[in-house]
Amino acid sequence: MAVKRRSFIKCLGCGALAALAPNDLIPAFLGGVQNALAFDYAGELSSMEARHYRKHPDGGVECLLCPRHCRITDLERGYCGVRENRGDVYYTLVYGLPCAVNIDPVEKKPLYHFYPGSRAFSIATAGCNVNCKFCQNWDISQSRPEQTQNIKLPPGDVITSCQARQVPIIAYTYSEPVVFYEYMYDIARLGKEKGIKSAMITGGYIEQKPLEELIPVLDAIKVDLKSIRENYYRDIVGGELKPVLERLVQMRKAGIWLEIVYLVVPTLNDSDGEFRDLSVWIRDNLGAETPLHYSRFYPQYLLKNLPPTPEATLERALAISRAEGLLFVYLGNIPAHTSESTYCPQCGEVVIERRGYSIGRINLKGDKCRSCGRVIPGRFA
Amino acid sequence: MLAFCRLRLVYKYMSRVIVIRHKRIQPDKTVASTAFYRQMILAGLEALFSPNSPSVELKQALPGRTIAMKTNCLTRNLNSTPGALIEALISILKDSGWDENDIIVWDRSNRELEGAGFKLNASSFGCRVMGTDTSGVGYSEEFYSFGEANSLVSRILTEMAGSNINIPVLKDHSIAGISGCLKNMFGAINNPNKYHGNNCDPYAADISCLEPLRTKNRLAVIDAVKIQYQGGPGYDSRHMGIYGGIIIASDPVAADRIGLEIVENFRRENSLPPLEKTGRPVRYLETAERNGLGTAGRNKIDLQVRLVDESGHVSAGELWP
Repeated sequence: MAVKRRSFIKCLGCGALAALAPNDLIPAFLGGVQNALAFDYAGELSSMEARHYRKHPDGGVECLLCPRHCRITDLERGYCGVRENRGDVYYTLVYGLPCAVNIDPVEKKPLYHFYPGSRAFSIATAGCNVNCKFCQNWDISQSRPEQTQNIKLPPGDVITSCQARQVPIIAYTYSEPVVFYEYMYDIARLGKEKGIKSAMITGGYIEQKPLEELIPVLDAIKVDLKSIRENYYRDIVGGELKPVLERLVQMRKAGIWLEIVYLVVPTLNDSDGEFRDLSVWIRDNLGAETPLHYSRFYPQYLLKNLPPTPEATLERALAISRAEGLLFVYLGNIPAHTSESTYCPQCGEVVIERRGYSIGRINLKGDKCRSCGRVIPGRFA
Repeated sequence: MLAFCRLRLVYKYMSRVIVIRHKRIQPDKTVASTAFYRQMILAGLEALFSPNSPSVELKQALPGRTIAMKTNCLTRNLNSTPGALIEALISILKDSGWDENDIIVWDRSNRELEGAGFKLNASSFGCRVMGTDTSGVGYSEEFYSFGEANSLVSRILTEMAGSNINIPVLKDHSIAGISGCLKNMFGAINNPNKYHGNNCDPYAADISCLEPLRTKNRLAVIDAVKIQYQGGPGYDSRHMGIYGGIIIASDPVAADRIGLEIVENFRRENSLPPLEKTGRPVRYLETAERNGLGTAGRNKIDLQVRLVDESGHVSAGELWP
């Protein structure tokens, strides 16, 4: 019997939750409930008052979390579908209610220069503030929280679970963590106190102020820079490029560890000019040592009419980026490709050997190449 | 041949809109009872179809064994589709030969239906009352697309019902301008939050053109007893007027066009600017007409207004006042 992907993911989600469900992970309901009246109204959803909004002078509220600035009147939700106005108080409906929980290799995010070989406790809630036509997790990212199977997992329980399993990293991933900002922030803050790292896997479509407040509790950010063209963001992503570029510069200035992913979609963002412009922008604004991952597209969601990205296209992108001076360029979703490993830009030796999500040799001493002593940028144990 | 006859029926009434007002439900705020709604709906069906055989034509206009009724329960018991209207409609359907086991009253969530005062029933017996979030219901496996809309559609529409009666509440909407037939269909898809940009244009028009919605929405009965003419889609008692009527049509676009006129009349009477002046033009009606969904041009709509009294006597009426 054919199993459709959505059904499979639902089963996978349930299985993952069940596997993670011994007593330490999912205790009795603790909530996230801040307002009894609101909870009574909301039933199964959470009712934590959202941060980063203001009451609009003409009525309703204005969300200040992402550049959309949704203006929302009573009983309505923002574009993300997980934040709701009730009586001109704005609530997040997903606080403590992840719909996906898993333990992944950190390489899967992908983060290649951030504690390689570590495991990451990976969580997501429903919702997203864009609508990429190629989304591989649309089942949860394009859903409202009533449409996903959620578990109650308050921030304290996330930390307890990581400690019990000796998982050193929490990754906010799969959907768009910006939309569960409050939940992410509180987990990351608690994790900081307990020595657990936090990595945000994001599209970077967030306002300046909430990002500024968030960065001190995070340890790494991976940004999906989906294109270097504004029209692609408008037509394929349903967002804007300019604020994403501004936030990337903000992240770089803040000194947090940063890696970039660029999903190469055949015919839509795969020209030499785009690869060149992307590389030049990264080199000039984020630095030549910023890791860039070109990722292979597979037909998904609303772009099932396109073929997977040819390997030759990815290799062309790799060559262009290297020619423009980027020092750490990787190809993703092509198992066993030589570009999965990290090479020392000075002596050319392999410093971190990878095969898929598995780590082979690590020829680093601290953060230096064992062969020549050149510092490899990143966060290493 | 049968399909051809049905098509002819649809086109015959395509741009006819019937507004029925009840003499007893006027600004004295008399409660709109099931009996009053029944009188209004019967008068409306007679005007829309044929005075001689409205139940026969109703049966032809609503193909399929199972009839769904899409409510709007956003504001809980404050200004949602009234239970009295639903009861009246069910009684008329039963009189016309439907089995109550083949009727589904629905909205996107059980929480909203219960909040509006409906008693849930997901069993096989009696009229079913259920949200799309009922266990075992959910949304279609595949996406439906039209224009800018790409959505999963409630399985109540795609698999369970042969046709749907769209039963929204006419009201102001902070983004769309008004909420009526087209806006009510946002509650039939999985991702309505993605479609509120640009005053819901073209999204409201495109969503109603998704194949299951376009083919199964066969009749609209808009509740226009109370009109939230400002401050919608939530409830705001400061801007609530009594119109005391319902709107019946086979054409959802034409029905909304007349609904818009009623809302604008209330706004003018209460010294509020037209919706367009508040940055909320209802452009999606013209888009819907271009999509071929119905008629948005006022001069192309065959509007008939009726007044009903307590004894059920019907006379000609005026849209406003």
